[in-house]
Amino acid sequence: MSRNEIRIAGAGGQGVVTAGRILAEAAILSGNDATHSQVYGPQSRGGASRSDVVIASGEIGFPLADDIDLLIVLSGEAYSRYEPELSSEGRLVVDSRCAPSDLNGDARQFAVVDTARAISGSQLVTGVVALGVLQALEDVVEADALREAVSARVPRKHREMNLEALQAGMELVGGGGA
Amino acid sequence: MSQAQLIQGNEACVKGALAAGCRFYGGYPITPSSEIAEQMVRLLPDLGGVFIQMEDEIASLASVIGASLAGSKAMTATSGPGFSLMQEHIGYAAMTEVPCVVVNVMRGGPSTGLPTSPSQGDVMQARWGTHGDHPAIVLAPSSVAEVFDVTVKAFNLAERFRTPVIILYDEIIGHTRESVVLPDSIEVVDRVQPTDAPADFWPMIAPDDGVPPLPAFGDGYRFHVTGLAHDERGFPTNDAQVAEALVARLHNKIDAHLDEVIEVDTYMVDDAEIAVFAYGIVGRSAREAVMRARDNGIKAGLIRPVTLWPFPYEQVAEVAAQVDTILVAEMNLGQIIGEVERAAAGKAEIKGYLRADGEPITPTALLEAITPDKEGQR
Amino acid sequence: MTDVKTYLREWAMPHVLCPGCAHGIVLRSFLNAVDQLQIDQDKLAMVAGIGCSSRLVGYVDFCTLHGTHGRAPAFATGLKLARPDLKVVVVTGDGDALAIGGNHLIHAARRNIDITVLLLNNSIYGMTGGQAAPTTPEGALASTTPAGNTEPNFDACKLLMGAGASFVARVLAANPMDMTKVMADGLDHPGFSFIEVISDCPEYFGRYNKVGGGAEMLTWMSVRDEGVAGPLAEKRFVNHIPIESVPSGMETGVLQREIRPVYAGVRKVEDHES
Repeated sequence: MSRNEIRIAGAGGQGVVTAGRILAEAAILSGNDATHSQVYGPQSRGGASRSDVVIASGEIGFPLADDIDLLIVLSGEAYSRYEPELSSEGRLVVDSRCAPSDLNGDARQFAVVDTARAISGSQLVTGVVALGVLQALEDVVEADALREAVSARVPRKHREMNLEALQAGMELVGGGGA
Repeated sequence: MSQAQLIQGNEACVKGALAAGCRFYGGYPITPSSEIAEQMVRLLPDLGGVFIQMEDEIASLASVIGASLAGSKAMTATSGPGFSLMQEHIGYAAMTEVPCVVVNVMRGGPSTGLPTSPSQGDVMQARWGTHGDHPAIVLAPSSVAEVFDVTVKAFNLAERFRTPVIILYDEIIGHTRESVVLPDSIEVVDRVQPTDAPADFWPMIAPDDGVPPLPAFGDGYRFHVTGLAHDERGFPTNDAQVAEALVARLHNKIDAHLDEVIEVDTYMVDDAEIAVFAYGIVGRSAREAVMRARDNGIKAGLIRPVTLWPFPYEQVAEVAAQVDTILVAEMNLGQIIGEVERAAAGKAEIKGYLRADGEPITPTALLEAITPDKEGQR
Repeated sequence: MTDVKTYLREWAMPHVLCPGCAHGIVLRSFLNAVDQLQIDQDKLAMVAGIGCSSRLVGYVDFCTLHGTHGRAPAFATGLKLARPDLKVVVVTGDGDALAIGGNHLIHAARRNIDITVLLLNNSIYGMTGGQAAPTTPEGALASTTPAGNTEPNFDACKLLMGAGASFVARVLAANPMDMTKVMADGLDHPGFSFIEVISDCPEYFGRYNKVGGGAEMLTWMSVRDEGVAGPLAEKRFVNHIPIESVPSGMETGVLQREIRPVYAGVRKVEDHES
């Protein structure tokens, strides 16, 4: 793996920024170099939210995403904003709620948001479910490192719930997706 | 060595400052620098340090100068609009020779501009923003790890030369999280203390290196500090010769020690036909672009100043003598490029890749700029 | 009592103040208060801004910081927080403290940081040549109000009481014994103490408004507690002075004194969370 650029895009409140940090921390625990950047807007709540993670086996030169390899989209607004920027080689994962009827044939879709809702009663763990999906699909970091990073990053009282969300995300892929 | 950790540039700044001995932070909230204050308030009290949120940026730097005169290593952090307000006291600190560190996490300007977008628009303001002839030390880190190192260096230079030191980085460096392994130990410099007895002490008599000793208020040395032109006793004067000698010494104490201040990173310039001159985040894009260009058989190199001011004229002149072209890439409409032209003095063609729309200059864009077209033109 | 010269930098004399200026009387009263309280000379820091009153710190043998225009309370805040063992006194003027530095002054008062502010109010900008200040009475003449001042003026003590200063007093330069007593009280007060000293500026205010020299201006103060308002009111030939609006007497003495928590920096996070 020379350089892998992953963008997780969704809505405020889905834990997208936390998910990006967890992924980058898991990459470091796996012995890689990683960076994480997020989009800052004037609003603290709501609106679009985005995490970019760059992972490389060697030292990372430019720390920002320059050519996204994998885009995970978790809201309709994020889909319309970021899908057009994805290059033809870029891979796309879409939450099934926001997948349009004319979704590109190579794109994969999973019930990420519904799974998160079933676990937490809200969208809070959506980003972590998405990490489970990502791990099962692409194996970008070591699975143990990912679990360790989740445990270290989320509040103690939510640790079990987040590990459950991660596992559920992996199983979404095991089930073949939708 | 400690463990690799994923931290933001603003966090690395705090860690560097505390490692260097910073024990006072006075600041005012402003995007994209606020994380520095938010970390300082949590960490300083445990170290016996002081945090205060002041009523504005003018007061922030005033409180920092007050604390520094009380013997604390002190800093503030801000962004463009606040940096404009701080100019008054940057000049005061330079004139009164009070060590302090000012971090400017640059955002798009002018005025309120683009608060959450990066820029490099404050490079000339960092040099000439305050009135009058004054020295300036301005450092520009280009990675989270380098923010740590540069912040330590900033405190050390401030103490070594009794002068304000400005750290300039942009919103991307401030907010991006990168993997950093912090050093277990660092070199820390403290301001020189007087050897004279208090009764014989004149605060502005400088030894040969041009830097007078600085005791803390309350340590038994009673002396006067003023932003007016002053004599060796620290007292105001209108004497032209005394005023001239003071301003000359303020400059010379740094100009005579450029080797301690100037830091320039070069990469593959030895056989280069084109060198990219870039600093801060653009230095990262440029390095990546140079690597890709080399893969494509283009003889490209990089000159990346960590020290923007004093400007590394000699180092740039050396590169200019070797290459055909220097491409200056900066996230403004052309600020440091004028200094590169002065340094090159016609020995190389100087071109600009300039952008001031709040978007980063990417490696792909720079690679295109350094790749000759079919006619061999760039 | 210690010789007052102990506290002076005689080598820095002669000073820059004009004949008839009462600032010297104010300084002497302050040094008497310092002496009464036996404040350690090495532990007293005086911080000033820009203006005639601010130049006083050059002549006293303490640690002295002559800062920028209006910012003295902010310098003093950093100094005091970093060195709590220092007694920190700000010397400022009416233009310095109430115009360009108004924001810093009210926030220092609000925090109740343990410093003392002496505001020497001479109702005009002296050092820059007699321009109108936020304290210049309506109708008074200044180089920037040649037809009489049309702006209302600040009552500094009311402003500071509103900002939450825990000690507020007003004294007259014509009454040095009283000044010393109130200054000693202010220096002793735990928290932010503010003392407005009604001083004079015969060179500009007195000359422009034809209210006499230093002696006449101080005499007015001593008999009617009115600062410049008294002599101004008598000068019926000065255009635009709304005579009926001139206060009959200016309240002096300690106007507010309360004990409330002194600002000493932020608490440790665990102290707060536990």
